Amino acid sequence: MMMKPAITIAALLCALLTIGLVSAQDDEAKTPYFQSRSFNAPILAGWENQSGEDFAQFHWAEASATIRTAIVPLDDISDAVGADLSEAFGIAVGQPIYRDKVNLADGTWSALVYDVDEATTASVMARLASAGTLVISFVEQDPAARIALLTMAQTDDALDDPTPEIAIAVESIAGRSLSELTRAESVLLPSGEWTVYAGEAMSAMGMVFGNDSYIALREGAPGDLAALADAWNRTLLGFFITPDNSQYLALGLAVVFVILGALVGSLFWRERGLRKDLALLEQLAGEDE
Amino acid sequence: MEAERKSLALDLRIDTSPMPRLLRALTVITALAFAGTLALGLRVAGTDIQQGEIQRIFYIHMPSFFGAFTAFGLTVIGGVIYLARKNEAWDRIALAGVEVGLAFSLINLLTGSIWARPIWNTWWTWDPRLTSAAIMCLTYAAYLMLRAGIDDPGKRRAFMSVYGILAFVTVLITLFIIRIVPETIHPVIVGASPQNAQGGFEATSGVVIALLPSLLLWLTLLPITLIWHRVRLEARIEALNRLKLQALSE
Repeated sequence: MMMKPAITIAALLCALLTIGLVSAQDDEAKTPYFQSRSFNAPILAGWENQSGEDFAQFHWAEASATIRTAIVPLDDISDAVGADLSEAFGIAVGQPIYRDKVNLADGTWSALVYDVDEATTASVMARLASAGTLVISFVEQDPAARIALLTMAQTDDALDDPTPEIAIAVESIAGRSLSELTRAESVLLPSGEWTVYAGEAMSAMGMVFGNDSYIALREGAPGDLAALADAWNRTLLGFFITPDNSQYLALGLAVVFVILGALVGSLFWRERGLRKDLALLEQLAGEDE
Repeated sequence: MEAERKSLALDLRIDTSPMPRLLRALTVITALAFAGTLALGLRVAGTDIQQGEIQRIFYIHMPSFFGAFTAFGLTVIGGVIYLARKNEAWDRIALAGVEVGLAFSLINLLTGSIWARPIWNTWWTWDPRLTSAAIMCLTYAAYLMLRAGIDDPGKRRAFMSVYGILAFVTVLITLFIIRIVPETIHPVIVGASPQNAQGGFEATSGVVIALLPSLLLWLTLLPITLIWHRVRLEARIEALNRLKLQALSE
């Protein structure tokens, strides 16, 4: 009788919550991420998914381009990059034609560009991770083009324009001057708004995110630089490692058990006290007689 | 012979009989369900790729608030019926509801704070939802202190019934504040989160599978079982106190 109202209220609440939760359930809305034990990388729509258990790899056949993410169990960045490119693409890299360090929100990254052979260039972002070296690489094997993708700190972070860094990249990687290129209309891509420079033999793009410029260069016939740069940046900016915070979960569970234990323990303790008092009263009553 | 009669009288007035079968069954079922929902949350539900393992505390954090809602709701029901009928049994339910509800709301508050440390990078912030939850806990802690401070049983029951009814306003404010105040960073899982919300996640099938049984447990079995135990105990404590007074007067 006493419990009936409570049960009715609880049942109504359960029904409402069930309806709410089930209607809120939307598996389609889940972020399309490739998940491995060590990291999560965005799945690139339209690219062939060649990912394995411990690495994410997406290939675009028309552009002969591949974007790969892996954690290599080596602590030396050059060794790790060399090992990963060798294992995944069968290419041997020598000295990079561009190498710099850049501080991003999740750590210090090395930006590397390799001129592998006449058909192949490789652009790599790598940083040390707890399980080795995290290597995100872009490899293009189109003989008609040479592509470099890199990130560098802005020379003037008050600017919202990557032009100074594009000029540095064009000069240091292609040995050209930015004055050879003409500024074209900016393009808005899912990764952000890109500044575009175009010329007969070369095109360059750049976008600012935080205090860093993300640069894409293409030598040779005009091609899909915008799509490649966008996919690369979505990988670079969308990639993340799931944080290890299991110690906080353990703390939370300990708190739950301590509070529930204290509640149940207090019931036992008071019950015990009650029985003792009752026994004493009975004893006193007996003595009175 | 006389002594035997007195002992019998004590036994009659203080219920020392074993736990009712239904309560015993409910206790076993609740304990098993608690272990089962823990296993669902810790083992069956997947790891949230953004938040990591700490997201699993949500399977206790949110249900514990609804458990407190049930318990404090019973305090309101107990208070209203006590005021109408002056039947002490309903006052015991009201008291038991506060004790159990306070424990559940402390679990809710502390697990939320522990979740916030890795996700919000702080143990505490004066967000509207957190502040109202803290006020709710303090309001019900004050109930227990005030109750202990009123000697006259009749006045105590009447006053605490009114207090228990009014205190439920803090529960409703805590429940609805994130729907009303847009300046909250507390995420909403069912429905749209406020713009400032940080640390939300989608109620996907994996989450629902772990969350629904836990919600049902904390909403119904856990508070009802604990409150029933506490009500039985309180009835015997009150009878014992009356006997003590009787013994002293004799």
